[in-house]
Amino acid sequence: MSATGLDVSATGSEPAGVQAEGVRDAPRIRHRRDRLVPYWLSLPTAVILFGVFGYPLGYMIYLSFHNLTAADLYQHLSPAWAGFAQYKSVLTDSTFWIATERTVIFTILTVIASVVIALLIAVLMNRVSPWVKGLVGVVLIFVWSVPQIVSIQLFSWLTDPDFSVINWLLSKLPWVNLDKHDWFRDPHQGLAVAATVVIWGAVPFLAITLHAGMTMVPKELIEAARVDGANRWRQFRAVTLPILKPLLVIVTTLSIVWDIQVFNQIWLLRHGQPEPTYQTLSIYTFTTAINDTRYSAASAIGILTVLLMLGVMIFYIRQIFRIGDND
Amino acid sequence: MSVITKPADVRVGDRRTPQSKQRRRRRAGRRVVTGLFNLLGIALSVVWIFPIYWMLNTSFKSANEYQTFTPHFWPHSPTVGNYTTAVHVLNFYDDLGNSLILTVSAVVISLLVGFFGALAVARFRFSGRRVFIFLVMIVQMLPLAVMIVPMYRVLASLNQIDTLYGVIVIYIGLVLPYTVWTLRGFIVNVPRELDEAALVDGCTQFQVFFRIILRLIGPGLVATSLYGFIQIWNEWLIISTINHDNTKQNLMVWLTNQSSLRGTAWGPLMASAVITSVPVVVLFLIIRRHIATGLTAGAVKG
Repeated sequence: MSATGLDVSATGSEPAGVQAEGVRDAPRIRHRRDRLVPYWLSLPTAVILFGVFGYPLGYMIYLSFHNLTAADLYQHLSPAWAGFAQYKSVLTDSTFWIATERTVIFTILTVIASVVIALLIAVLMNRVSPWVKGLVGVVLIFVWSVPQIVSIQLFSWLTDPDFSVINWLLSKLPWVNLDKHDWFRDPHQGLAVAATVVIWGAVPFLAITLHAGMTMVPKELIEAARVDGANRWRQFRAVTLPILKPLLVIVTTLSIVWDIQVFNQIWLLRHGQPEPTYQTLSIYTFTTAINDTRYSAASAIGILTVLLMLGVMIFYIRQIFRIGDND
Repeated sequence: MSVITKPADVRVGDRRTPQSKQRRRRRAGRRVVTGLFNLLGIALSVVWIFPIYWMLNTSFKSANEYQTFTPHFWPHSPTVGNYTTAVHVLNFYDDLGNSLILTVSAVVISLLVGFFGALAVARFRFSGRRVFIFLVMIVQMLPLAVMIVPMYRVLASLNQIDTLYGVIVIYIGLVLPYTVWTLRGFIVNVPRELDEAALVDGCTQFQVFFRIILRLIGPGLVATSLYGFIQIWNEWLIISTINHDNTKQNLMVWLTNQSSLRGTAWGPLMASAVITSVPVVVLFLIIRRHIATGLTAGAVKG
């Protein structure tokens, strides 16, 4: 149990020759034993992650090359080999392409909106009086802490066609009349509500993170730029932004990964029955599998979705690796 | 620089020179600018907090008060009736219990497993380390609404539908990547010299892990577990897909089951929303410093 090389200190009473040998030997023994330690340590994590994600992912790939029907499930038959047939039918189906387009546009708009708003708030927090900064900080923390599901229910109530306070407030503006307005009749407006839920919930994390990053920018650098005659905008562009860039890249890629898989917001705002005009890739995969029990077609859509995200994911991990290598 | 080299009396006389007037004007201008920014900050705060305010506001109104065509911006006759209605909604206590069982068991197990994983990454250089980190990182980004399809089939073939066990295992996998990565950050900050000193004093490798490192990362364990708690408490998609039995759900599913396409009782629903949020909000306020620094510290340093 304690036969590590460092126990050599306890062998002092032994003859000199043996001790010398022991000293020479010990590090090697320790080394050989220790070499396995990190593998034993990471094994439980690896097993659980394989069981929860790896195996199902492999099974999804398997399903996408087969044709699992409801009849197969009831009779416990193994599904028939289908080759690329699932992929071919998915890729020639316009529903898939429309859902892809909708997902990509939704992602781009929500990511840009939330990152830009968050950046503005982060900058603003440096320019306001301390008490306003405190107020903004408290508001952000409270909004951040609201569970996503709660926020969806909340916006569902805020956009209620009969008693929406948002409609009432907006109708106070001249030329706007939203009395009895149903935001979900037009899918563009409905998706805009879903995007609002996403942005409302994402901004606190992004703003607080970016603000924390900004406080790490050395004051002397900004001072130096100011002395050199740079105005506020130049100071921000030439000093703050370049230092903030790695963090900005990380939170932006993270936002892309989160927003591209948007599901709950749209699903629950449509009360679990989203119209085809609300389908994003996640929703399309889910309904194809769970509602239509076309598991193989859904698997093919799912694999294509993962492939679409893969580039962003790998880019994100490369950024993370840069941090990991520093310590 | 040049100001300092000037004789003192010049600086004293400064106040009456035209330059000082300009400076005063500039200072006043700056105050106006700060005032404008303050207004903007207040406006943003009002917009962002409004939904939460409206949730609380609605939850204390009776039905004839929240269903008015001119909204009441505060309850004219406040009532806690919605809250008593909420806790009597079917399965509240079942699902509350489930939420607690799921969060506690998933967090405890993933903390233990994640501690070992984090030790491996933080304390050892081994071949396969990068691959291990890569895989841990990538699985947490897989789209869950897509992954639920094969997960559902796997659990169905293992007869784990409508039980909590299958869900717990998925939840462990869900919080494990974050746990490993965050604990790694805390372990890295424990000086290696402490390990070596303990080894010299005759500790075994595992005694070092448990007696030295584990004790020193205590605050990190608390922050990590609370964050895991929040993540599991808020989970909805997996449990609502895998379990159909309403006594085998968590509080989030209990909450969403209360809304329907037509005729949602918004007062009790908002009260339920407040009830399900309170534990999370409290935990959030406790660990908020840890979350902000934990996420950014490495990124800015790097």
